[in-house]
Amino acid sequence: MTKNLKYKNKIKIYYYLKLIRETQNQIIERYHPADKMRCPMHFCTGQELMPSVLNQFLKKDDAIYSHHRSHGFYLAKGGSVKKMIAEFYGKNTGTNGGLAGSQELSDTNVNFYSGTILSGALSMAVGDAYAKIYKNKKSISVAVIGDGGMEEGIVYESLNLASKMKLPVLFICENNSYSTHTHLRERVINPKAYSKVIPFDIKCSYVNHQNPEKLYVKLDKIIKEIKKTKKPQFIEIQTYRFNGHVGPEGDDHFNYRPKNEIENWKRKDPLILYKKSLSKKLEILKILILV
Amino acid sequence: MKNKTQRILTFAQSIKEAQMQAFKLDKNVFIFGQAVDKTGHVFHTTEGILKKYGKKRIFDTPNSEQAETMFAAGAANYGLRPILIHHRVDFMAYSFDQLINWISLWSFKSSGKSSMPLVIRAIIGRGWGQGPQHAKTLHSMFSYLPGLKVIMPSSPSEAKGLLLSSIMSNDPVIFLEYRALYNTKEHVPERPYFIDLNEPRKRLSGKDITIVSMGASVLTSIQAVEILNKKSIGVDLIDLRNISSFNISKIFSSIRKTKRLLIVEDGWSSGSISSEIITRVMESGIKLRKPPQRVCWPNSHVPMSSQLEKDFYFDSKDIFKVCVKLMKA
Repeated sequence: MTKNLKYKNKIKIYYYLKLIRETQNQIIERYHPADKMRCPMHFCTGQELMPSVLNQFLKKDDAIYSHHRSHGFYLAKGGSVKKMIAEFYGKNTGTNGGLAGSQELSDTNVNFYSGTILSGALSMAVGDAYAKIYKNKKSISVAVIGDGGMEEGIVYESLNLASKMKLPVLFICENNSYSTHTHLRERVINPKAYSKVIPFDIKCSYVNHQNPEKLYVKLDKIIKEIKKTKKPQFIEIQTYRFNGHVGPEGDDHFNYRPKNEIENWKRKDPLILYKKSLSKKLEILKILILV
Repeated sequence: MKNKTQRILTFAQSIKEAQMQAFKLDKNVFIFGQAVDKTGHVFHTTEGILKKYGKKRIFDTPNSEQAETMFAAGAANYGLRPILIHHRVDFMAYSFDQLINWISLWSFKSSGKSSMPLVIRAIIGRGWGQGPQHAKTLHSMFSYLPGLKVIMPSSPSEAKGLLLSSIMSNDPVIFLEYRALYNTKEHVPERPYFIDLNEPRKRLSGKDITIVSMGASVLTSIQAVEILNKKSIGVDLIDLRNISSFNISKIFSSIRKTKRLLIVEDGWSSGSISSEIITRVMESGIKLRKPPQRVCWPNSHVPMSSQLEKDFYFDSKDIFKVCVKLMKA
C-alpha cells in the first residue's frame, strides 16, 4: 500500500520533518547569548513524525487544538515561520502580537490554537467540532495531547461528550513517556494512553514505529472514516523528545532518563531514517531539487 | 400603577423571552447544560424552547462542568453563541481552570483577533434550606478576572435587556440570576431591546444617601428606601448591573451630592464588590460626611437551619438601620 504514496506526498513529508527540525535547531542555537527571545519554549525535536504526516490531510477550516509542545503542529497546520519567530521575540508582528509566546502559540488565520495548562485545548476541540456540525461543515477538529495531559479529568469528560454526541474529532496522543521529568511508570497503571479511551467506544489506533509512509496510510484511513461517520477516533504515537523538557538547554544531566534509552531513540530518529530510506531509492535527489 | 396596555412578565418569563428572541435574531445561539431541556426547565426559563427549536439548539449534557465549559469555548471560537446553564453557581467551581486560563484571556492572548462570545447563566443565592453548597453568590470571585463580564440583573425588564446584550456581546459573560427574583413581576416591553453592559442604572433619586447595589439586593434596597422616604430621607439608588467593568462616574457624581455612601451586596464582605467600590471612592479623594458603610453577608458559609438562615441574610430593616446611622450628626 505504501508503494502507492505519490512523490509529492513523500517530498512534503520530508520537507516538514526537515522544516520542523531545522526551525527548532535554529531557535536553540540563537536563543543564547542574545537572549532576545524571552519566553519558555518546549521544543519537539524527535517528535516531528506526527505533525509532518498529519499536515498532508488538513485543510484550512480544519482546526488543531494542541498541547504546549506545539511548534511542529503549528508549522504543520500551515503556520508562518516568520510570525512564529516574531512571537517568540515578543513582537507585535507575532502570531499573538507578542502576548502569548511559545506556550500559547495561536493563529486564527490557520485555525491553530494551543495552551500550556495541560488539557483544556483537547476539550475545546470538542466544542469546535460541534460548531462544525452545527454549521454543516465537512471539516474536522484535531486535538493534540501528551501522555501527561491524558491524566487530567477533563479529558475523560470530553471523550465521553465527543463519543456520545458523535463529533468529528481526531484525538492524537503523543506519548513521549515523560511528564516533565517523571516517567509514566511512576504515574499510571497502564502506560498505553489509549487503554483509557477504549471504554468510551472510541476507535483507537496505536503507532509504535517511525515510518512516515505507514503512518500516512493509517491517518488517511482514520480521517476518511471520521469524515464519513462523524465519529471521533483516537491515535496514540510512541515518540521521544531529544531536547530537554523546556529549552533551549538540555536537562539530561539530571539523569532522569537512562542513557541507553536516549541512544536507542536517537537511532530511530524519524528524520534520519526517512532520509536514508529515500536516498536508497535515489528519491532524495528529486526531493532536494524540489525543496 | 395598573395600566391595561402594560405587559407584565416574571423574571423567569423575561429570561425565557430574551433567549427565544436571541434564537430568532441569530441562528448561532444555542443553549446547553445539565437538564436544561426537561422537568423544571431551569426555574421555567427554558420552557417550550426544545419544542420550538429542536435538539440542535437546546440539549442536555452529562455531569461534566469542565468539558461543558470548554465545549462552549470551542463552539464560540468557531462563531457560535453558546448559552451554558448551571442550576447553581456552586457547580461552577469545577470550571475555574476553563474560566481562568482559557475563556477570560482568549481574546487578550490573540491580541484581539479572536473573541469568545459565550454566556454562562448560573443561579445564585438564597433559597430555603439550600445550605453551604447550594446558596453562594461567588460574583466577586468572577469579577476579579480581567476579560470576563459579570452581569447581575435586578428585575424582569433589566434581565431581558441585559441577557440579550450579553448573548450578542463578543466577550464572555457570566450572568448571575438570584433565585429569589424568579417570581418578581414587572412591565417588560415585547420587542427585543438591549442595555449597555457598562452603564449602571440610577433606580431612585434622592439627596441624602447614595446606595450602590446589584442583583436581588437592589430590590431589598428599594424596600428599605420606601421606609426611609417616610422619614424624609432621600436616596440615590444605583444598580451596578455589571459588577466587573462598570462605569464608576455615576457613583462619583452621586456621592459628590449626597456625601454618604452605602453598598448593599448579597455576598461575603471580604474581597467583595463593596470593598472595590469603597477603595475606588477613597482613591478618588471625594470627601464624605461619614465613613462609607456596607451591608453584606457575614464572612461565614451559608447555614441550612431556618433559624440560622434568618440571622445570616440581611433584610430591608438592616439597610434602614445603617442609613439612619449615616444620617446622624
